Amino acid sequence: MSTSEAQQAADRARRLQRVAERLAEAVTPEEVLDAILTEGVQAAEARAGAIGVVSADGKSVELLAQQGYDPAVMSGWGSFPLDADLPMSEVIRTGAALFISSLSERNELFPALAHQGQEGHAIVVVPLAVEGRTFGAMSLSFDEDIEFELERREMKMTLARQAAQALARSRIFEAEQRLRKRMTFLAEASELLASSLDYNRTLRQLARLCVPGLADWCAIDMLGPNGEIERLAVAHQDPEKVRWAHELQDRYPPDPDAPHGVPQVLRSGEPEFFPEISEEVLDEAVGDDLELRRIVEELGLRSSICVPLTTRGRTLGALTLIAAETHPLYTNAELELATELARRAGVAVDNARLYREAERGADAARALAYVADGVVLLDREGRVRHWNAAAAAITAVTEEEALGRPAREAVPGWETLAALVPLVPPGSAPRPVTLPLADTGRERWVAVTGVGFGQGTVYALQDVTEEYALEKTRSDFVATASHELRTPLAAVYGAVRTLRRTDVELSEDERTQFLEMIESEAMRLATIVDQILLTGQLDAGAVEIDATECDPAEIAAGVLESATTHIPEDISLALDPDGSPRIMCDENKLRQVLVNLVDNAVKYSPGGGRVEIRLRRELSNCLIEVVDDGLGIPSDERERIFEKFYRLDPQQRHGVGGSGLGLYICRELVERMDGQLTVESEPGRGSTFTVELPLRR
Amino acid sequence: MAGRRLWRSHSGCRAQGEPRSRGEGHARAADGTGRRVLVIDDERSIRLLCRVNLAASGMEVIEADNGRAGLELARKERPDLVLLDVMMPDVDGWAVARELAADETTRDIPVVFITARADPADRRLGVQLGGVGYLVKPFDPVAIAEVVEDVLARIERGEREQLRRDISSDPER
Repeated sequence: MSTSEAQQAADRARRLQRVAERLAEAVTPEEVLDAILTEGVQAAEARAGAIGVVSADGKSVELLAQQGYDPAVMSGWGSFPLDADLPMSEVIRTGAALFISSLSERNELFPALAHQGQEGHAIVVVPLAVEGRTFGAMSLSFDEDIEFELERREMKMTLARQAAQALARSRIFEAEQRLRKRMTFLAEASELLASSLDYNRTLRQLARLCVPGLADWCAIDMLGPNGEIERLAVAHQDPEKVRWAHELQDRYPPDPDAPHGVPQVLRSGEPEFFPEISEEVLDEAVGDDLELRRIVEELGLRSSICVPLTTRGRTLGALTLIAAETHPLYTNAELELATELARRAGVAVDNARLYREAERGADAARALAYVADGVVLLDREGRVRHWNAAAAAITAVTEEEALGRPAREAVPGWETLAALVPLVPPGSAPRPVTLPLADTGRERWVAVTGVGFGQGTVYALQDVTEEYALEKTRSDFVATASHELRTPLAAVYGAVRTLRRTDVELSEDERTQFLEMIESEAMRLATIVDQILLTGQLDAGAVEIDATECDPAEIAAGVLESATTHIPEDISLALDPDGSPRIMCDENKLRQVLVNLVDNAVKYSPGGGRVEIRLRRELSNCLIEVVDDGLGIPSDERERIFEKFYRLDPQQRHGVGGSGLGLYICRELVERMDGQLTVESEPGRGSTFTVELPLRR
Repeated sequence: MAGRRLWRSHSGCRAQGEPRSRGEGHARAADGTGRRVLVIDDERSIRLLCRVNLAASGMEVIEADNGRAGLELARKERPDLVLLDVMMPDVDGWAVARELAADETTRDIPVVFITARADPADRRLGVQLGGVGYLVKPFDPVAIAEVVEDVLARIERGEREQLRRDISSDPER
């Protein structure tokens, strides 16, 4: 070995040493590539170098970096097939290095390159392999034709081994880094999704979380209840661009039938991945709209991923990631990440919706618990699914007894009820059916409506016991009132029929009796009709009290004065106006009350006697007493006489017939004037009715 | 409304009495002579109407203005027929009918109700208590003697049950 050769060998070793040192310092693939292509190319005494690796799909070779070549020449060589008849492809395929001494040799070996018209000399292509597996190749181009000697070949191979190891190590490191970043990102995203049940908000935050780490643009679209597409979120680092994107969305609303993008993903539930958005795809998306084309070009879309948000086999929405101005083109790794992210988002949305539904159900149950009407939900088999508190109260069947059991077993009389209540379809107005409820311990009347829908039946039970009782009272009143009218009517009609008989000669006395009968019974009819009307008004609260200051003695005197005209001769009337304080009352109403009380007193004094009105002052009240010494009232009937149609009926009767309403009306009127009407009596000794009214204030 | 009710009751009375078909009952005819009718009603006017019109057909009328007195008279006088009001104080018409039916001495006396109660339920109760006639007020007093005569004639022919059926089968009567 000559001195210069020895010197050269030492130089090479030193250069290799420096490359090794640089490579040791390099961490990322970029740093490794840079070290190889600056130090390595120089160490190999080459003019230029390039490094290519097998693509993820194993079908092509991707040129990762180059140094020293004319960029114009290199354009178009970014990626080429692994099975191509090219030096780098062949080296990667065979794992054996190529040492080509000249351009002519190259063209001979690789005719495909002969027409490329490149100037060149010697070329070395060495495999990049780790643990026997070739994952790429490094090519070196030299300034001259060289017949490579063994030693120089060895040196290139050593350089390649160093480079391969460094590159592999850095790629593993990078992969780890990427994986860690993804895990961190997914963890962050999961935490975000779990943070709130307001999924609209969390999904918006998720979109923001995706930029710029995972995308330049991130959009989330949701499928509405009627199949409409709702854009929930758009994220970009530049808020101005977000605004612009929203405007764009308004101007170009998504066509649900579009063959690409969100609509297609929502329809199919399958992801759509464009690693590199081609002109054709853009053309198809944009069509003839020049404005849209300008916009799309401005967006600079390069690569996109659109994945569905799915859960339990349903597609809820879509997550779109777009690589534009900064983000590198997407690979399968990002597609996987996006799919996982969308899956988690789908679950979160589903959970939130389920929770909200459950909560709504709970809210509905809470509301139903306080509704006064019984609400009963039966499933298709007639089993009780819901039984609110009012239903329990109305039917006297508790929720525990009813839930889960067929209604006809749990509720006595349910079968009858179900048979009587027609079911209407949802949306139509059900007509309530009023019926008595069996076995509730007391008389219950319920108005029931039923709505039948696909999954079951809803019954609403309204307790109308009180209304029913009121209605019954009303119809009883009408029935009783008609009874009261029938008797005087029978007398009038009968008297006229008898008087008109031609086959019978009536005595003068009989004729007079019949005429008097017609007169008095007609008057009785009029009184009854008046009192029925007044009772109706009192019941409806339609009687107005016009209270003024008045003198009860004067009113009493007037009442007695007019009574003298029609009382029997054996009755004497008297007034004891002791003090006679002035009172506040409705004069006409008080007169009406006193007329009635005096008439009663006369009527129930069949053996004659004395009827007296006494006025007394007691504390802040005025007492007006109507006193008789007639038949009196048995103690057990003293309160009942104030009931409607209750009548204490002595056999003796005078012309003024009762309607059975007089005392009821008197008490009602007095009470409406802030007073009270009471009675004291001793059978056989007479009665005292006392009207107590407030004094003038 | 009142007019319609009047008309119905009127026609009802006539139908039950079948007065004109036999061409009888116009004069103070002898067909009612000897019949003794007890009228129990607390309404003086109703008693007067019955008394005058029955007497016109030659019937003898006895009266009671309450249920208790009516029962006493029925037992004592054994009338051929009782015209019985329902709504009376103390012992009402239903109670009177019940007691009449319970007493062997009065059991066979036909009872015709004259009442303001027009409910079908009341009519049914009247039949249940043994009534053979049911007149709703207002009724035609001119036809009352013919009703009495008709009821008695049919009972003599053994048609008591038929009479009772007639009451409940025709709620308009």
